[in-house]
Amino acid sequence: MTIIGDVLQFIGVFVSFSVAYVAFRGVRQTQSSSLLRLATAFVFLGFGFAVEGIVGLGQLIPALPFPTVAVVAGLVLETTGYFFLAFSHAIDVMISKRMTVALLMFPVITLSGAQLIDILSVLSFFFVLYGVVETASSYIRTRKPDTLLITAGLALLSVGIFIQWLSLLYLNVDVLSLMQIIMKETGLLILFTPVLRFAVGGTRLDGTI
Amino acid sequence: MVPYRTQVRIIADVLSTARDMNNEGNGVGVTTLLRKGNMSYSRMSKLLSELVGSGLLLELNGDKISKYMISEKGIQFLTVYYQFEDFAQSFGLRL
Repeated sequence: MTIIGDVLQFIGVFVSFSVAYVAFRGVRQTQSSSLLRLATAFVFLGFGFAVEGIVGLGQLIPALPFPTVAVVAGLVLETTGYFFLAFSHAIDVMISKRMTVALLMFPVITLSGAQLIDILSVLSFFFVLYGVVETASSYIRTRKPDTLLITAGLALLSVGIFIQWLSLLYLNVDVLSLMQIIMKETGLLILFTPVLRFAVGGTRLDGTI
Repeated sequence: MVPYRTQVRIIADVLSTARDMNNEGNGVGVTTLLRKGNMSYSRMSKLLSELVGSGLLLELNGDKISKYMISEKGIQFLTVYYQFEDFAQSFGLRL
């Protein structure tokens, strides 16, 4: 991983905590369980990106050796975030046909990777892919441009995670690491759009009515 | 299948009915709220008491029946509710 890649992780931290902040305010105002799951997802993602960024930058300093467990912890946090992101939709669909198909496909792909990091990457990919399908299906129902934008953001995120998985298989191809982080961060920046709309709209986010 | 309505969604529906159906400025009757709110009389009565108590609705006592009008606080609530609904919908979610 390059220094740029590690620094870019902190954009993910900022975006994730910003989305989580607005979603938590929404929970306070509306007691919505969907927003609670969304907020939880982005809190986990934020901490996941933070740990990965710190570990990445820490590896540049030989005096500060980060154990493999820190790398895995970062990925576990990130994967948990994607899990909550995917299951934010669960209240609407429960175990739908789309979910069944996704779960059936899962073991086939996991056969190719035995390591924990491989499995976490594949799990993350499936969770985000499920989120893409559900958000796209929501767009078909609502025809809301913002939903289409978020679908695109999640799609970029899923491509980034897929490339991340590829980069674990092809360790010699450095460009894959940078590509995956750029795709992920671009996807996350797109997810920031609804938060920007809140800032522009000037919604009071303090206290409850 | 009719989607499940959360409590806050029901409150928003009642408040928006009280706002939109109050064309003459005399408030909205319980019958109109019941028809638009799609719930039982007992449940609606309880909800209306809560909304009046929390200052989101104003109760206008007429000769025979009470009518309800949305308050300034209720309008603020609806504004914030719709903004968060918009936020949730962006992520393909329902409040």
